[in-house]
Amino acid sequence: MSPFTLSVLALVFYAAAAGVALGGLRSERLRKGPWLHLGVVLGVALHSASIGLFCAKSETHFFTSLSESLWLFSWALCAAYLVLLAGWAVRSVGAAILPLASALLALSFLLSSSETGPAPANEAAELPVFAVHILSAFLGYALFLIACAASVFYLQAHRLLKRKSFGALFGGLPSLEKLERAATHCSWMGLALFTIAVGTGATMARQTMQEQWYMEPKIWASWATWAVFFVLVLGRLTGRLAGRATAKVILLGAVLVLVTLLIGHPFREEAPPPKTAQAEVRR
Amino acid sequence: MSGAPSLWLVGLNHRIAPVAVRERLAFRGEVLPEALRQLRTAAACHEAAILSTCNRVELYLVADHEESEMRRRILTFLTAFHNLAEHDFAPSLYWMREAEAARHLFEVAASIDSQILGETEILSQTRGAFRAASEAGAAGPMLGAIFQRAFFLSKELRGQGGIGHARASVSFAAVKLAEKIFESLKGRRVLVVGTGEMAGGILRTLKAGGVGDAVVLSRTLERAEAFAAAEGGKAGTLDQLPEYLLWADIVLVSTAAPHYLIRPEMVTPVMAKRRGKPLFFIDISVPRNVDPAVNKLDDTFLYDIDDLESVADEGRRVRQEIAEHWRPRLADEAHTLLLRLKDCNTDQTARRLLEHANELRAAEVAALMKGLNLDEAAARKVAHALERFQGRLLHGPLSVLREAAREGDGIGAAQWISRFFHLHQGHGGGEAPKGAPGEGSQNQA
Repeated sequence: MSPFTLSVLALVFYAAAAGVALGGLRSERLRKGPWLHLGVVLGVALHSASIGLFCAKSETHFFTSLSESLWLFSWALCAAYLVLLAGWAVRSVGAAILPLASALLALSFLLSSSETGPAPANEAAELPVFAVHILSAFLGYALFLIACAASVFYLQAHRLLKRKSFGALFGGLPSLEKLERAATHCSWMGLALFTIAVGTGATMARQTMQEQWYMEPKIWASWATWAVFFVLVLGRLTGRLAGRATAKVILLGAVLVLVTLLIGHPFREEAPPPKTAQAEVRR
Repeated sequence: MSGAPSLWLVGLNHRIAPVAVRERLAFRGEVLPEALRQLRTAAACHEAAILSTCNRVELYLVADHEESEMRRRILTFLTAFHNLAEHDFAPSLYWMREAEAARHLFEVAASIDSQILGETEILSQTRGAFRAASEAGAAGPMLGAIFQRAFFLSKELRGQGGIGHARASVSFAAVKLAEKIFESLKGRRVLVVGTGEMAGGILRTLKAGGVGDAVVLSRTLERAEAFAAAEGGKAGTLDQLPEYLLWADIVLVSTAAPHYLIRPEMVTPVMAKRRGKPLFFIDISVPRNVDPAVNKLDDTFLYDIDDLESVADEGRRVRQEIAEHWRPRLADEAHTLLLRLKDCNTDQTARRLLEHANELRAAEVAALMKGLNLDEAAARKVAHALERFQGRLLHGPLSVLREAAREGDGIGAAQWISRFFHLHQGHGGGEAPKGAPGEGSQNQA
C-alpha cells in the first residue's frame, strides 16, 4: 500500500472521529462510546505507517515543502491528542482538534497535487538534528494548540457556569478542573518539546544562515512563544497563575504559535541564502 | 366465559385520583398473596398481578370475559376486598386492554408515567409486583413475557435513552453543577452553614457523589453538633466561617438569617489565598445568605435556590423530551409483543394437534397390523391412507388457526381447537405452561 493510500485512509478515520467528537458535545451516547478512541487510534496508526513508509522510500529531503509540513503537522496534532485522551480523557477537545487535523491533512493532499518536482533542497535539511528539530517543533506546536483548545473550552464552561445558562453544549463540556489540568499538562509537555526545537533550531540557524541569523522574525516569534509558555509553567509551579488567567496566557501563546507558523520556515528557499559554498552551488 | 383471553389493566394513579382515593385502594405487601388469590377467584382470570405503590394501584389480568362482565367482576372484587362503596373509586379507574395495557406497563416500568420522570424506584416496585404474583402462582406465560419485556425496555431507556442522566431534583442539580466545576467529587470538602433540613438532603446527595469531609457551622454549637451527628462531620460556630472558607471546596448555606452572612469582602482574601482553587457556593436560604456579588469574584460560583430549581427544571424538560421520544417505541413494542404471544399460542396448538394426531394414528396402525397380519406392501398402503386421511381431516382446523392468527384472534382459535381435540399439556410436549389460555379456560369453566 502506498503512503498516499494510507494517508487517505487515515483522513477517513480522522474525519469520522471528528464527527463523533462534534456529535459528542451534544450526545452522551457518542461521548461515552468507543468510536472516538477507535477512530483516532486507527487514524494515527495508518498515518504513522504512511509517514514511515514515505521516509523509507524517499530519496529527497522531506518535510521541507508546505504539503509535507501540513501532512506531518496533522499527524502531530492527532498523536498529541491521543496522548491527551490516554492521560486525561478530555474527549471534547477533539471537537476542535480533529476537524482541524482533518482539514490540514486534506489541504496537504490538495497542495501536494499542485506542487511539481521534488522539494527544494536546503542545507539545514541535511543536518542530523533536522529530524529532531522538525519532530519536536511540530509536536510542541500541536500540544500548544491542544492546550489552546482546552483553554477555549475552559473559558466557555466558566462563562456558562457564571452566567448560569446551560445549553446543549454545557452537557458536553468536562469539568473546569479537568480542562485546566489538561491545558496545563499539554503546555508543560509542549514546552519541553519546544525547548528541544528552539535549541536545535538555533544550532541549525547558526550553521546554515548568515551572521545575523537571530534577526529572523521567525526565530523571534519562536522565542516569544517559548517565553510565554515558560512564564505559564513558572506561574503554575509557583501558584501565581490559575483558572482563567492560565487559559488567557495559553491563548496568547497559541496566537504566537500561529504567528510563528505563518511567518514561514527560515530554512526554506524564501530564507536568506545559506552561507556555505556548497549550499550556494546547490541553489 | 366468552371470547379469547385478553390482557386487561384496571387502575388509578396520581394523575387521576387524589391520595385519599389511592390510599384506600392500596394493597400492602403483606396482603398481596391473599389479594391475588381472591382476585383470581373473583375475576375468574388465568393470570393476575397487582402493582401497588404510593402513586398508583394497578391490576393486570389475563382473562377471557366480555368487557361488561370483566368490569362487574373487578369492581365486585375491589369493593369487597377494601370494603368500599363502588362510587368512591370507580369513576377514577382507567380500563385498558391488550396492546394499550402492555404499553402502559412498559411506560410505568420505564418511569415515563411517573410523577418524577426517570425515577428509579418504580422499576423495583414493578419487579416486586411481578415477583409477588409469581410466588402466589398468579403470573403465567403472558404476564411473564410482558413484565420481562417491560423490565428490559426500562433498562434500555435508562442506559441508552439516558433518562436517568438528566438531573431533575435540586439535590442532583447541585451535584451536577459541582461535577462541572471539580474534576471529581471524591475527597472534596463541604462546609455546611446552617442546619436547614434541605441542607441535610443536599449533603447526603453530595456524599453519595463521593465528597469527603464535612463541617457544619451554626449560630450555636449545640445545633451544629446535632446536625453533624445526624449527617456526619465536624461541628463549629459561625465565627469560624472565614477559616473554613479557605478549607472548603463546596459551601452549602441554609440558615434562617435575614441578611447576608457571606459577602465579597469576606471571600476576596480567601480566594487570594486559595490560588485559583474554585469555590462553589450553594445558597438555599430564603432570604439569601450569600451576597450575589460573590459570584462576580474569580473562581467563585454561586447558585441560589432559584438557580438550582432552573437546573432541575432543565433536567425535567430533558426527561420529558426523552419520554416523548420513547413513547411511540414502547407502543410498537407492546403491539409486537402481543401479536407474537398470540402467534406463539397458535403455533404451539398446531404442533400439539399434529403430534396428538400422529400418536393416535400410530397406535391405530400398530393395532391394525397386529390383527390383519398384512404383508409389508399392504401395510405401507394402509399407513399412507391413514396419513392422507389425517392430513385432510386436520387441514380445516390448521387453516382456521392460521387465519385466526392473521386476524389477531389466535388465542381464541387455539383455545377452541384445544377443547375440540382434548389437547392437553402432555400431548406433543407443548410448552404451554400452567395458566396458559386454553388450559386455564378449562380449569376455570
